[in-house]
Amino acid sequence: MLDHLVFLIGEAFVALRRNRMLSFAAVSTVAVSLYLLGGLGYVYLRVSAFAERIPGQFDMRVFLKEGVTFDQIRSTARRIRSVDGVADARHIPREIAWRKMREQMPKETEGLENPLPDAFKVTLSDLGKADSVRAAIQRIETVEPNGIVYDEAARQYLDQGLRFLRWLGGTLGGLLLVTAGVLIYNAIQLTVVARARELRIMRLVGATGFTVGTPFVIEGALQGLFGGALANVLVWMSHTHLQQRLASLQATADLGPYPVAMGFAAFCGAGAIYGAVCSLLSLRRAMRQTT
Amino acid sequence: MDLPPPSSGRPLVVFDRVEVKYSETVALDGVSFEVQKGEFVFFVGRTGAGKSTILKVISREVQHTGGRALLDGRELGEVRPREVPHLRRQMGIVPQDFALLPSKRVWENVAYAMRAIGASSREVRRKVPEILERVSIGHRADAFPHQLSGGEQQRVAIARALINNPLLLLADEPTGNLDPEHSIEIMELLAQLNVRGTTVLVASHDMLVVERMDKRVIRLESGRIVEAEEEAGLA
Repeated sequence: MLDHLVFLIGEAFVALRRNRMLSFAAVSTVAVSLYLLGGLGYVYLRVSAFAERIPGQFDMRVFLKEGVTFDQIRSTARRIRSVDGVADARHIPREIAWRKMREQMPKETEGLENPLPDAFKVTLSDLGKADSVRAAIQRIETVEPNGIVYDEAARQYLDQGLRFLRWLGGTLGGLLLVTAGVLIYNAIQLTVVARARELRIMRLVGATGFTVGTPFVIEGALQGLFGGALANVLVWMSHTHLQQRLASLQATADLGPYPVAMGFAAFCGAGAIYGAVCSLLSLRRAMRQTT
Repeated sequence: MDLPPPSSGRPLVVFDRVEVKYSETVALDGVSFEVQKGEFVFFVGRTGAGKSTILKVISREVQHTGGRALLDGRELGEVRPREVPHLRRQMGIVPQDFALLPSKRVWENVAYAMRAIGASSREVRRKVPEILERVSIGHRADAFPHQLSGGEQQRVAIARALINNPLLLLADEPTGNLDPEHSIEIMELLAQLNVRGTTVLVASHDMLVVERMDKRVIRLESGRIVEAEEEAGLA
């Protein structure tokens, strides 16, 4: 059994070496596809992480009616936090708000009584739910009528931008996935056609479907694996280059370190699985033709 | 499915009103014959007469659409697809175009086929020289196919067909690509294998070679048997 396995793996390597041009075509196809897909996926993850932080940075101010008691403030905080779309609600006591204001505008506030009500700084978990959050909070009896303040235009602009980014990532990623699949399928199909004679001989002497197919599947998986490794190197290089560019521009955005080991594992694994699956699909057709 | 030794009584191949139809074309139309173990039979006829189709039905490359086709008593239509490789290991198949791997040496071509059916490397080392000697090509073991004559290439193809020690050898136009001298050489080799007990079925349109061999001949035309001569010794 081990001897036979060695033969099957050996055949896959022989085929890779013999069909250098086809192997190169398949490996480079996988590499470019995974580079585009993986690179886009990586950018998408970064953008998503950034996008997740944005609603946290976007907040609305909720002013309470005058004279609310401490217990009412606590119950209001609980009710606001329970609203769908709210990430957090932080109480801003009127005394602290007034002290800050006096520090910032000492002349304007000199000799005045504290006119500020107690308030909440509400951060959102989902910008798309800002309107429903506003309506829900407005229904709370301790909240001042028209006591909710936030930049609606900025919110809408930000929300639309994020939606577009997610849509672009999903659509472009999907299209690339299909394109990569077709390219790999064709590359493996060419390999199968180039090895039609071997297939025929195996069939003539009574080799089983497993023996006939396994070297092709190993070959496809190896092509995918090499392509994946190459794609990872390309993404890594792009990441490093981009990071250097950002540093030279003294931009505030930071890409963070590239996860090299995880990248290799993910790209090689995805490439190998994709290569093996595409070889299997190609083989199914070839096997039917040579039986 | 193991084929029995030549001495047992049942016919090895039975075709009973066998039909093979492709969508519009009729390749075999009610073909009936029997082949006993140890026989040497030629199927002759023009291109498209159906002689290759008979061999393909036996090797299950083609499935018959009517009648009964039995190999050692087993209906070939009932052989399941996953059993086909095991069926083929009971026979040797020699294709017209030799089907040799150009990048492999003579011994590697035979070894490759043995490895493909699961033979260990030790078995390969032991058996390949023996098989090559059997078909008198051992002296060219290290040559590549393009360095061989047509007759030598056909010997390698026959050697490859012998790796399973088959009791049935199917040869489709084995002399189709050879000059008369090499054709006779190959036929004599097949006759030698037949003398050692292998049942040999040959599809050929080379009447000169067929007449010279003086074996049983089944003549086909448009998918039908038009003449069936007995071998001189069996008649």
